[in-house]
Amino acid sequence: MDIAALQIQMRDAFRVEATDLLAELDSSMLELESRPQDADLLNRVFRAIHTIKGSGGTAGFNEMAAFTHHVEELFDEARMGRLTITPEMIDLALQAKDLIGQLLESDSPATQESACAQVVEALAKFLPHSGKLSSNGKAKPGKVAAQNQRHKIFFKPNAQVFFSGTDPVNLVDELCTLGAATVTALVEEIPPLENLNPEQCYLAWGVDLMSAQPVPKIKEVFLFVEDESEIRIESRLEERSNETGKTEQQAAFLNIAGQSLEALDGFLSQLRSGTEPDRGCCRNYQRILKTFQAAANRQNQKEAATLLDEQIHLLEAAITNNTSLSEETKVNLEEGYQHLAALIQSLRANKPCVNNLETPTALQPDVASASAVPVGEGPKKEAAHASASIRVDQEKLDRLIQSAGELLVARNAFPILAKKLALEHGLSGMGKEVKDAGDHISRIAEDLQAAVMSIRMMPIRTVFQRFPRMVRDICRAQDKEVELLLEGEDTELDKTVIEQIADPLVHLVRNAADHGIESPEVRAQADKPRVGKVTLKAYNKANNVVIEVHDDGRGMDPARLKKKALEKGLITPSAAEAMDDRAALELIFLPGLSTAEQVTGISGRGVGMDVVRNNIRQLHGTTTIESHLGAGSKITITLPASLMVSRGILVEAKGEEYVFPIESVVQMVRLVRQQIHCHDQAHFATFRNEVFPVLRLADHFTGTGQFSEIAWPEEVPMAIVQTNRERVGVAVDRFIGQVEVIVKPMSRDFANITAFQGTTIMGDGRVALVINPAGFI
Amino acid sequence: MAKTIMVVDDSTSMRQMVKFTLAGAGYDVVEAKDGADALGRCNTPKVDLFITDLNMPNMDGIQLTRELRATAPYRFTPIVMLTTESQTNKKMEGKAAGATGWVIKPFQMEQLLAVVKKVCP
Repeated sequence: MDIAALQIQMRDAFRVEATDLLAELDSSMLELESRPQDADLLNRVFRAIHTIKGSGGTAGFNEMAAFTHHVEELFDEARMGRLTITPEMIDLALQAKDLIGQLLESDSPATQESACAQVVEALAKFLPHSGKLSSNGKAKPGKVAAQNQRHKIFFKPNAQVFFSGTDPVNLVDELCTLGAATVTALVEEIPPLENLNPEQCYLAWGVDLMSAQPVPKIKEVFLFVEDESEIRIESRLEERSNETGKTEQQAAFLNIAGQSLEALDGFLSQLRSGTEPDRGCCRNYQRILKTFQAAANRQNQKEAATLLDEQIHLLEAAITNNTSLSEETKVNLEEGYQHLAALIQSLRANKPCVNNLETPTALQPDVASASAVPVGEGPKKEAAHASASIRVDQEKLDRLIQSAGELLVARNAFPILAKKLALEHGLSGMGKEVKDAGDHISRIAEDLQAAVMSIRMMPIRTVFQRFPRMVRDICRAQDKEVELLLEGEDTELDKTVIEQIADPLVHLVRNAADHGIESPEVRAQADKPRVGKVTLKAYNKANNVVIEVHDDGRGMDPARLKKKALEKGLITPSAAEAMDDRAALELIFLPGLSTAEQVTGISGRGVGMDVVRNNIRQLHGTTTIESHLGAGSKITITLPASLMVSRGILVEAKGEEYVFPIESVVQMVRLVRQQIHCHDQAHFATFRNEVFPVLRLADHFTGTGQFSEIAWPEEVPMAIVQTNRERVGVAVDRFIGQVEVIVKPMSRDFANITAFQGTTIMGDGRVALVINPAGFI
Repeated sequence: MAKTIMVVDDSTSMRQMVKFTLAGAGYDVVEAKDGADALGRCNTPKVDLFITDLNMPNMDGIQLTRELRATAPYRFTPIVMLTTESQTNKKMEGKAAGATGWVIKPFQMEQLLAVVKKVCP
């Protein structure tokens, strides 16, 4: 996540927290007015102000933090007993608190500047000295001399250093990152084994450091231990002469050596694989050898220089005569390389090189390989935490997403074509090639889709963040104790989904805390812990994101639900009879149903759950509910992780193809004619103890809409489709299967045709209409 | 394996901020809201570094440091204190209790990361 977005998130998150703190300050300060000596109160007030200053500052509210500092000072003096709080001070403090609130709200702190200055002045009167906020961004003293200096550092940590959780070796390593360093461990003080206390530090270190860093930076390494350790730093400006700076030169040479060897290896691998290098290649190779040789000469590496000389000559003949390399030459080149590699390796390790001309070339394969890091020069790691980001017009992004999604559907054409080639044209070989190409494109399309969708993905944390406060409010309002647990805050969802899921989730969490969790007394009586638990959990499952809202409260009573639904005329008595407990729980989603004893200011009007379900359904998701009386309830929301491509059931009716959105189809069945009854110009069917009306898709769209007398076939494929309130069986001619489709919404001209939500292009190029069950039935 | 850092602070937004910063740099972060909470949570998973505020209810940062140093697994684990510049005497107390280092609030994220890298590379 980039820093800018983090900052914004931090500011928002802090604002939420600050609201609580400021509210607390309000009441605490007023209390303090009547009990100015109460130590506990003073501490509370101080802590709240302290947190506002600290967290607020870190969240980026610098002006606010600077201002708050003055208020904090006042209360610091007070809690230390050096100051007594007077009503005048409380007045001032409350004024300050209001200003702090304003500073947090406003995006331009300048408007409060004069008011703040006034308060600060007034506060200063009470303080023994004017407390100036020392800037934490201390200006670095002096100019950084970017010159190389040689530092001799002696570091002897305190014998007890381990007890501060410090590992002195880390500090030595840190020194090495500042430049080229040679480290010597000084072990004289280590006692014999029987006297050795492993928890004490007996070691010291001498470090010879060549660095352009200023001495203060070097001292900073020892920041946390300098008080208890012996540290001596002697620095000397380095002159570039042949005697001094040797380490650096050595390092530079080894660098060049490493790179050259790498290039040479590349050339040689060509030879090894049997390719004949052309003249140009040989010239390049020779050039590298010559550069390497020059560096070796500068460094007085005679041996390396000689080896290189041989190699250069070997190539010379081939180059001038434009002949290919003889086998012998190739072998010699290879051997020469291996020796060079061994030589450089030993230089790095500072060991004398054993020049073994007889050893097989398998001795030191690729010794000075890719990471040619010369000895002593630490890795330069950039803390690349500021990542580049770019603002994108949402429309452009949407177009990109649309195209990516269409590609995903269009790729389906390949298998169809492949089949056609094989079956209709007898070209199965060709067909396979087309299929393979299609698979490849398919994979790329999927990668593209994933990458593009991830652009719009945001962690669900942004929604979850508001809940702790909400739950706390409910707790306070109702004298309950509820703990809110958030899990899976990093789970990512599309931005639009997150925006639309916020309200339903708020409703569900409210329900859980308000209606679900009982009061502490009731809970205690039921042998439950006093503190109720509401868990909000989000995780990925296959192609979906699942969000669970779980409470360990009183649970829902299926019997009561049925009763209420009956009373309100929302279900028929026979339906209630037939309903099992699980189905009864689903009643909660009926509009107007609320078994809450009172409508609290928070929830209970019964307009919530059906809206929740609708919202989720609009996002192509599903909502399910589980509950156990006395133990708690769990609402599970399943959302497709991907917005644009949705799943549907493809069917055929009277020669035309239609798609049912998958979340609307409860089940696909095959009924026999006998199960379908006719009564009063309408058809019904019974299935699994349920009676539902039956429509024929063919009639509905192609006929005159009138009741058709066409006989039913023996077997009737039927999709049982669920709209908000009812289930209807839709008879089709044929099921084709599940498909992934991009639904293009109906164009404006057709927008009032509610039967369809849109159109889609199938893999074979045909257009299918996507049915909107609610409008259709 | 990623290192586990426990951040102890009674300010939710401070914890979140530290968590974001560190998680973004590849650490696993565990939160605790005061010293007592921290002690309760520090056994699994094993913590590689503690970052703790000083002023907290129930048990403050200094006391937490003492308690941690008295336990076997955390005698030598780095502990970093979050302190404000007006609490220099606290730094001494912290060191006496066994803290490894400190970060001054308010801090920039890079500063925090630098200190974390220093004491727990």
